[in-house]
This record gives sequence, structure tokens and C-alpha cells, in this order.
Amino acid sequence: MSDRTKIFLLLLPAMFIIVVLFFGGLAIGLMRSFNYMPVIGLTDPDFSAYIAVFTDREFYLSFALTFHIAFTSTVISSVLAIGAALLLRRSFIGRGMVNFLFQLNLTVPHLVGAIGMLYLFSQSGSFARLAAEFELIAGPADFPALVFDPFAIGIILQYVWKEIPFIGVIVLANMQSIGEDYESVARSLGASKWQTFRHVLLPLIFPGVLSASVMVFAFTFGAYEIPAILGANFPAALPVLAYRKYTDVDLAARPEAMAMAIVIALLSALMIYFYVRYSRRRIRG
Amino acid sequence: MSNKESLGIRSFRALTGAFLITWLILPLIPLAIWSFAKGWFYPDLLPRNWSLRAWEYAMSDTSGVLDSLWLTIWISLAATALSILVGIPAGRALGMYKFKGKEIVELMILAPTIVPGIAVVLGIHSVFISLGLNNTIHGVILVHLIPTLPYMVLVMSGIFSNYDPAFEAQARSLGASPLKTFWYVTLPAIRPGIIVGGLFAFLVSWSQYILTLLIGGGRVETLPLLLFNFATAGRNDITGAIGMIYILPGIIILLLTAKHLSGRSGAVGGFGQI
Amino acid sequence: MTHVSIKELTKVYPGADAPALDRLSLEIPTGELTALLGPSGCGKTTTMKMIAGLLEPTSGDVTFDDRSVLRDRPEDRGVVMVFQNYLLFPYMSVADNVGFGLKMRKIDPAEIKQRVGKMLELVKLPDLGDRKPSALSGGQQQRVALARALIVQPNVLLLDEPLSNLDAHLRFEMRDLIRSLQQEMGITTIFVTHDQEEAVVLADRVALILNGQMKQYDKADAFYKRPIDEATARFFGGHNFIPGTSDGQTFDCALGKLVLPEGAASGQGKLTFRPENVRIGQTQAGENVLNAQIKDIMYMGTQTRLKLTVTGTEIEAVVNPNEIEAHQVNDTLPIHLPRPTLWVI
Repeated sequence: MSDRTKIFLLLLPAMFIIVVLFFGGLAIGLMRSFNYMPVIGLTDPDFSAYIAVFTDREFYLSFALTFHIAFTSTVISSVLAIGAALLLRRSFIGRGMVNFLFQLNLTVPHLVGAIGMLYLFSQSGSFARLAAEFELIAGPADFPALVFDPFAIGIILQYVWKEIPFIGVIVLANMQSIGEDYESVARSLGASKWQTFRHVLLPLIFPGVLSASVMVFAFTFGAYEIPAILGANFPAALPVLAYRKYTDVDLAARPEAMAMAIVIALLSALMIYFYVRYSRRRIRG
Repeated sequence: MSNKESLGIRSFRALTGAFLITWLILPLIPLAIWSFAKGWFYPDLLPRNWSLRAWEYAMSDTSGVLDSLWLTIWISLAATALSILVGIPAGRALGMYKFKGKEIVELMILAPTIVPGIAVVLGIHSVFISLGLNNTIHGVILVHLIPTLPYMVLVMSGIFSNYDPAFEAQARSLGASPLKTFWYVTLPAIRPGIIVGGLFAFLVSWSQYILTLLIGGGRVETLPLLLFNFATAGRNDITGAIGMIYILPGIIILLLTAKHLSGRSGAVGGFGQI
Repeated sequence: MTHVSIKELTKVYPGADAPALDRLSLEIPTGELTALLGPSGCGKTTTMKMIAGLLEPTSGDVTFDDRSVLRDRPEDRGVVMVFQNYLLFPYMSVADNVGFGLKMRKIDPAEIKQRVGKMLELVKLPDLGDRKPSALSGGQQQRVALARALIVQPNVLLLDEPLSNLDAHLRFEMRDLIRSLQQEMGITTIFVTHDQEEAVVLADRVALILNGQMKQYDKADAFYKRPIDEATARFFGGHNFIPGTSDGQTFDCALGKLVLPEGAASGQGKLTFRPENVRIGQTQAGENVLNAQIKDIMYMGTQTRLKLTVTGTEIEAVVNPNEIEAHQVNDTLPIHLPRPTLWVI
């Protein structure tokens, strides 16, 4: 059996699943967004769904909000994750505990964290009650709206809570495999600690940080359950809006939902492009 | 290698460490407290009355919580098992061989980790209607493969790129059949990858929401769906109990495989090279 | 132009029962090329790192021009280390790598460019400034690493196994380059190696370190002519250690009474002589002439190694293959141990 045949057979099951389920799902969604579904007799593709979506003010508000959520969460998480990884490189009291909790955090589903955030930051939540205890506020309404708010602060907080350990663990593993010798060289050539970080370490870990950030951005943009629990109703995050349209009693709203799904897919395709373009490493081999 | 660090920097590290520890545990605390509360109203910092009734309810037959737990475990195990079965050969192909079009294949396998579920599942849902897979457990397991399979392939490919096929050739030349070679030589060598990849795959399936919601149609009620419902219904005490139950398997798995998750292990090294 | 002094430098790693480095003392004169020679794990890399400030000693001191530098941070000491795997910054061009130290000192970019150009010419890589390190051969990478280190005019230059990664013919080139650069710039240079040939060929003086202790610090030939003890001699490939007694002029041992050179030690000890100094064949009777029987002949291409017995004691000799052609195993022949080649430990 030639190598080519071997490779083909090895890849076949996985590729079959991915092509049929993933790309198939995308393709069907694309077709339906154009109202094109020969199987049930719709043979005239049209743009009506897209027109409806792109003339809907709610869509733009939703898109802007979702982008803001994704961008802010990603930037904050990445920066703080690098800091956390730098911290965890050296030993200090409690380092083992932090390491353990980082890994523990990876196993806690977003939904649980989101509910926890709700209980902490809602206007009748734990922090509000603490504020009342210290007489900083008079009543629940005086506590700033951190959830169900237009700036999605609660949502961003929740994402940051989950994504710092995610990016942090990847960056830390990266740093450990790079080792400290490059920095030793830089120091001996006269670079200060900050210069060493900025000119030597940062460029070395940048590809890894970028790859992780791309994944985080895509996830925070397209997640449903967290904005569903922590988000305001209007404007809602784009995935929430899409779901609402899809499950609307009016079946005509379905193609619009598909159109929104395609918009989300296009944005993630853009992310994949950035990932491939700037990431140094591929799957090894 | 030791570095001269001033007391200032060392205390900064310890302080930041303490802050991180607190902040990492923080959201889980109110959930835990709520599960033992009997009514916890503003502005009380702690519940006035404690009770186990949320837990009793959760453990009871009528609530369906335990049924949901077993269902979720079953679905995640099934998705993980299928991912392992399919991921090992795919990982071998990507880790050990170079071929034309390999980068495209890698990209195709990577795509589901970046493209959000909502973009794909709407399309799948409309097809599954005609296939009769909606509202079924099998349908849910199938869609869970979309996010879990790529992680499995990624990890296995990393393991296989460090793997030396010469061991297999050696075994064959000593008279072992292909099956025996796989079982005695290949499998032990790739075991760390299977464990780490399986852990990730399980957790990815465990935390799926929108895929289960749409394809399961509310009939396949996994734990996250149940949790969501109770949370939005305002039953915080039961939500707390379910939440605690929901995070438990993840913690157990982590503790069991802790040694494989250290930064030096080849499997995570491969994952960290994403 | 820095005089480096190491005083009683000791390093004990936590949890280890023996010190990695035990009260090492060394005075390295200004502008010299010194080798720290020893097997793996002997403590030489530890010493280097402590000079560089990358490691803290448990006790002892390191001074540059009689000023202790232990409190100085690595980047303030003016010590540059060139690692065995060169560690060129992979994402920077060759020119940027070489200019890195100058850039960190905030020197004017135009001046950096000029100095980098000159440096690259000095190491004979004038046109490679724009290349990335991955596009260079090992030998070229090493020259870039050297250039990067020398351009900042360090007080002390540390080299980690500089010749070990190179093929034989590259070694001589690199050896000449290092020596000429070092002498031209007059930078006190210390390098670390486990290869005694590398040490002998490159250094002005060699410090042999065994088990964390310094054995002997001397010009290279001293290790061959006057090794300080058996372990030292063995490290340099010495054989032939015959126990006996010396009275300063003759050595009484199983081989007989042998005449010693002037200044030999007296008392109980071991007589040692190097295999290559054993003369065979055309020898008249005379002082230090013995009768030997050939036990084994091992042809090694450019030399032949002989195992001989003299009155029951086994000794080794290394001779030109032509000299032993006529003989075979179990032949007897006279051998001569010239007086100046004998040494008492």
C-alpha cells in the first residue's frame, strides 16, 4: 500500500465527519440564507434575507456590541495572561496553588462562571450587598449596572475570567519551551529587564499569543449562552439575535437568521486568515 | 537558575498570586453558598437560613437532575470515544507524513475550533429535520463531534510528530502482527496524547450549549441546559446545586490526569504550539 | 582590559550533598585567553555563569580589577557570554543581532550601522547583514555570535565550548579567528571546554577543574611535562604511573633505579612519563635504558600503541609505526626513558 493511499485512508474518517458536518452545515446555512433550497422547492436564490438584515438597525447595534465584547475581552485577557505567565515562571509562595487553579479554571464551563458573575455583580448581588454593608449605596438601584448593561461589562468580566487562564497556560508552556537562555544573552549584552522583555521575549512568544487570541476573539464573538444570561435584551449579542430570529414563530425570519450566521462565519474566516498569516507554527510534522 | 530579586519584587509576586487565587475562586463562591441557602435576600451578606433542600431536590428522582447528569456524561463520553477513534489515524497522518495539500487539510481540521457553533448549527438543524436526527441523543452526539474532533486531532498529531515509527518496524520484524504491534507498541507510546486529547474533547463536549439546545430541541436536556433554565427562572438555590454538580466531573478528570498537563509533556507542548 | 580574580568561589546547590564548586581560586591576567577545562559536571559552566552574574555563589568573590562585582546585575558587569548554541535571536537579521547590544545602549542608529559593518568585516561575513540566522551555517552563526559579543567591547568575554560544534577544518579557522580577534581587542577571555585538545590549542593558560576543585593552572605544556597529580595527568592522556621512592636524584621502583631530572620531588610517590616519550630501537646501554618485552601492538594509522612489560611492570608507549615494523609480539627490545621526560608526582 503506497504512502499516499495510507495517508488517504488514515485521514478519511476525520475528514468525512468534518466535511459533511462542519462544511456541510455551513454550506446549507449559506444556501438557506439565499432562500435557495431545491429539496423543498425553493429554486430561486435571492438576497431578501440579506437586505432585511443589512437594513435592520438592530443588526448593526448588535454587531457593534458583539465586536466590542470580543475585542475588549481578547485584548484585556491577552495582556493580563502574558503578565500572569511572567509571574508563574518564577517560584513564589502560592505558585503551586495558582497553577492548580489556572488548570481548574480551564475545566469550569463558561456557563457556570457566567452565573457566578451574575450572582456577584448584579444589582442585588454580593458586591452590591457589600457596598450596602459599607454604606456606599442606599439601595440596589444605586449599584452600577454591570450586568444587562449596554457596555456588557459583566460579559467582558466573565470572558476575561475564563480566558486569562486559557491564554496564560498556552503562553507559559511556550515560555518554558523557549527557555531563559535568550534572555541571558540579552542581559549580558546590556539590555535591562524591560528591554529584554520587549525586544527578546515578546517577539518569541508573540506567535503563540496571537494564535490564542484569535481563538478567543472568535469564541467570544460567537458564543451564545453567556450573553444570553448576562446580556441586555437590546441590543443583544449577535448570536443571541440570530437564535431569536431562527426560533421566531414567523418562519420567514429563518433565512435572516442564516444570513446572520453567515456573517459570523465570515468574520471567523477573517480570523483564520490572520491566524494563518501571522502564526509561525502549524500542526507539527 | 536563580536571579537576585529584591524583596519588593518578591512580595509583589506573592501579592499578585494571592489576588489571582481569590479572583479565580470568586465566582464559584456565591453558587456554592446559594446551594445551601434557604432564601437569601438583599442585603444579607450571608443567608440567614441554611438548608439542604436544594440538594435534596437535585438528588431526587422527580427533579431530573441526576438523569440529566447521566445523559450529559453519556453524550460526552460517546463524543470523546468517537473522536479518539477517528482522531488517532488522522493525527498519525498529519504528524508523521508530509504530503501535498497538507496545509489545507490542517486548516480544514482547525476551522471548527475558530468558527463558532452558531454559524454552523443552524444549517445542520435544517438538514437534520429531514434526517430525523433532531431531538435525538444521537443527533446531539454527532454535532458535538464538530468541536471535539479538531482538538483530538491536534493533540494526536503533536504526539505522532515525536513518535518514531522504527519501533513498529522493529516489532514487525520480530514477528508481531499489525494488530499486536498497534496494541503493544503504538498504543502505549501515544497514550499520553489520548489522555490529554480525550480530556479536552470531553470538556469541550461537556460545556456545549447552543449545539445541544438547537439539535436537541430542548428534549435532550443536558446539564448546561438544565442549569440555564433554572438560572433564568430565578431558582438560585437549585441553580447553585446543579452548578456544583456540573463542575464536579471536570475537576475529577483534572485531578486524575494532573501529571499529564504539566508544561513539559509532549501532548500539551503540541497543543501549546497552536 | 580587565584583570579577573576569582576568590574561593563556592556553589552548593540546594539538596546536593557535595558542592558543585569548592573554593575555586584563580587569577586571570589582563587580556589573556584562559581555558576552564574539565569533564561534564565538574563545575566549569557554573563558574562561568557566576562570573557573568547569571548565578549567585554560595560564598566567595569575583572581582574585576580588584573590585567585587557580585552586587552588579548581569547587564552592568560588562561580561558577555557566547553560548554553545549561539542563541542568535531568530527573528532578527544578522545585522540587527550584531547591533543589539549597541541598540540597548541607545547609540545613534547611523553609528550602529557603521560599527556593525566593520564588525562583520572583522569576522569575515561582510555581505550577510540582511540574512536571518536560520539561513546561515553553524560556523557562520558562531561568527555572528562572536561579532555580537565583541562589538560591545565587554570587560570579559565568556565562550562556552567554542570549537566543539565545528568540523575539524572549521576548527582551525575559528581558532585563528578567535585568537586574532582576542589579541587585537585585548579582551580578557575565558572559555569553557571538556576537550583538552581544544584547551591546549586555543588558550594561553589552562585551568583544570575536576570535581569542583581546581587542580592546576598553568601554560598548556605544563600539563604534559609537569602534571600536578595522577588525575590531572590521566585527564591529559597520560599513562605509566609507577610507584616508588625518590631521593631527588634517582627513583627507585619496580623498573629499577632511574635517573631523574633536576628539581624532581623527593619522597614516596609515583614516577610518570608519557607514552610518546618512550624511545625504542637504536639505543646503546646508558642511563635509564631498560629491557622490555612487547605484549601488544595496536596499529592506529599515524601511530602505533605498544604495551610493554619491564620486569613484570606494564607500561605503554606510543611510537611511529615505522619504528616497530620489524618487531612482533613477545619480542624483546631495549627502551630508553630520557631523563628530562621523567616526572615525579
